[in-house]
Amino acid sequence: MAFLDNSGDIILDAVLTDTGRMRLARGDGSFKIVKFALGDDEINYELYNKDDSRGSAYYDLEVLQTPILEAFTDNAASMKSKLITIPRNNLLFLPITKLNTTFDASTNMHSTNMFLVAVDTATEDELFVSSTGTSIDGVLMGESPTRSGNRIRLDQGLDTTEISPARSLDPLLVETQYAIEIDNRLGSVVDNTDGLAASVSFVDDDSLATYFLSRGTDRQFVSDIQDTTANTASNTNGGSIRGPRGTKLVFKVQSSLELNTSDYLFDTIGSTELSAVIGGKSGGKTFKTIDTNIRVTGVNTGYRIDIPVKFVKLVS
Amino acid sequence: MATTFKNFLSNDVANTRTLLHEAIPITGSIVSGTYSTTATTDGGENVKTYGHGMFESVYDYPFLSSSANHIFDITAGYSAASALSGAANTQNSKKINLYNQMAQYLNGYATDGSIKPFKMPTTNAEMKEVFFVPFARLLTKDEIKKGSVTIEMGLTGSYNQDGSNFLIRGKLIDFSGSEGYYVDSPAGEYGVLYGTSSHLGNGYAAAVFNDETLGNSATMPAVGLIYYQAGVAVISGSLFNDETDGGVLNDDSTLDTTELGTLFTPTGFQAITGSTLDVFGNAILNRVYNISYNNTTELNSTIYFCRVGHSEFNYSSNPTYLSGSKLRVKTRASDTPVAYFSTVGLYSADNELLAVAKLSEPLRKDPTNEVTLRVRLDY
Repeated sequence: MAFLDNSGDIILDAVLTDTGRMRLARGDGSFKIVKFALGDDEINYELYNKDDSRGSAYYDLEVLQTPILEAFTDNAASMKSKLITIPRNNLLFLPITKLNTTFDASTNMHSTNMFLVAVDTATEDELFVSSTGTSIDGVLMGESPTRSGNRIRLDQGLDTTEISPARSLDPLLVETQYAIEIDNRLGSVVDNTDGLAASVSFVDDDSLATYFLSRGTDRQFVSDIQDTTANTASNTNGGSIRGPRGTKLVFKVQSSLELNTSDYLFDTIGSTELSAVIGGKSGGKTFKTIDTNIRVTGVNTGYRIDIPVKFVKLVS
Repeated sequence: MATTFKNFLSNDVANTRTLLHEAIPITGSIVSGTYSTTATTDGGENVKTYGHGMFESVYDYPFLSSSANHIFDITAGYSAASALSGAANTQNSKKINLYNQMAQYLNGYATDGSIKPFKMPTTNAEMKEVFFVPFARLLTKDEIKKGSVTIEMGLTGSYNQDGSNFLIRGKLIDFSGSEGYYVDSPAGEYGVLYGTSSHLGNGYAAAVFNDETLGNSATMPAVGLIYYQAGVAVISGSLFNDETDGGVLNDDSTLDTTELGTLFTPTGFQAITGSTLDVFGNAILNRVYNISYNNTTELNSTIYFCRVGHSEFNYSSNPTYLSGSKLRVKTRASDTPVAYFSTVGLYSADNELLAVAKLSEPLRKDPTNEVTLRVRLDY
């Protein structure tokens, strides 16, 4: 007779995140833990070797030897990727969320491989049309979002050529809600058509604003990808996803009033760049810039993508 | 629909309360000489005095250093009804005020609104002359553990700086504290400090305390009170007086009433009348051989039972999990999915991460296993 394996019951000590402490201190009942998730930030699945000739016991040997870091107390730095519950075990493909920079020129990124947000009218005027008379790719109008059609678009689905895009995506795998996180000091999320602001769900202690946008209630942001034809050089209507498609998220960014009216944040956390990098009508200009990321997470599928964004202000 | 969260049910959350104890040994030499500059009036570089002269603070290191930790304060006082009280005394009113302040805080008020004096609950004898040792909250934490207090004092009659103060020592202990404490104080629970002989030297062989039979706890005299939650020791001045002078020490030519420093003649606690509280405090510190107690931290915990069923959390949203949308851990669709996790996140209803717990190594999750993780959050 042997002892029973008791490894199934594990005791862990948790630490409060900075946001947890802030909510606790607030004393308004907002500190209430109601659910949990499992994270695998340290795991590199590329180490999973299912071709190991020694047998299946060795497939995950290197994964299991991964050293684990202590808990971060910054809520934004933990749980970047989560485990997913899907009530099917026979899935070979999972959907991803992908930046669509091929739909047309209005979804392109800037030549710096970022999206630029012009924070005031003077900067918009300089960047709206380049010296060649065409719109500069990847420049969002932060003062007047409706001034140009440039926008950020993300597509969700199975990005594989092994399955035809004509097949519909399993409803289990269709993302219906996205969380957008953006530094609230720098900008906010607005819709593509009217430039109306999305309602922010909460702003954490690090001024990180989170917007939850759902297919059912925020159709101006989240909608199904209708085109099921394969992408070709002349037809990219289906977006960036090569296989079965789910939903798309489209939005613009409006610059904050602080960036619009003050240089303080540019001087504190930013730098300066020239027209040679940023572009513009007249050239020879200097811009103040702040680099940041807008993080988009599929609430159901957990897939996360960071979109690089540069807030730009014309100096002279 | 796919999901990354699992809600807790009502039976997944439990609350517990745990008492943690730490041993706090205060080596007497830190208090009574290590940092002394002049041994008579100055307590040393680790003893901080104040302009008001009402008490002094003892640190474990010269207090001007940022490394210094406050360990306790010391002061003394007497009742207005004490025989020692007299208008001609140095700081007479301050000593009476201190006695009254501590008495009202630790003892409360009588039904007529008057401040109740300190009384020994075992004999109902009033303690009119006392010294106070309020321990720092840094060390006592939530409370002093009952039955753990030991205050050992050098009680040799004569005073010398050669260590002979400690040839004869008495120990104050709350040995019955864990089962014989009192609850009629507005400041929480308190116990009695009993005196017992701890070291006999200098040719002295009898018990240090009057009527004490060595080895018989029933004969130990009560000489003070220890307030566990307040973290204050109130010790009768009779500790330094022999029986003839109204104290608890054995009346013997070798022992005698204690000389509290070179400034004072061997008058025992009566020395308080002619000295400031600072100087008198130093005199008592020079008699401290050792102090020790255990503190208590009350830890309230919420335990979240994260029950991970066999069909849950078998896939991952980690970007490395996929290669071209295809699972790296599978060759065929019929293969068992597998994922590994290292972190448990606890979330609010609006998906804000409120607490994080880490595993020491990655844990495998696939449809053939179930895991219950007990995540404890301490407050």
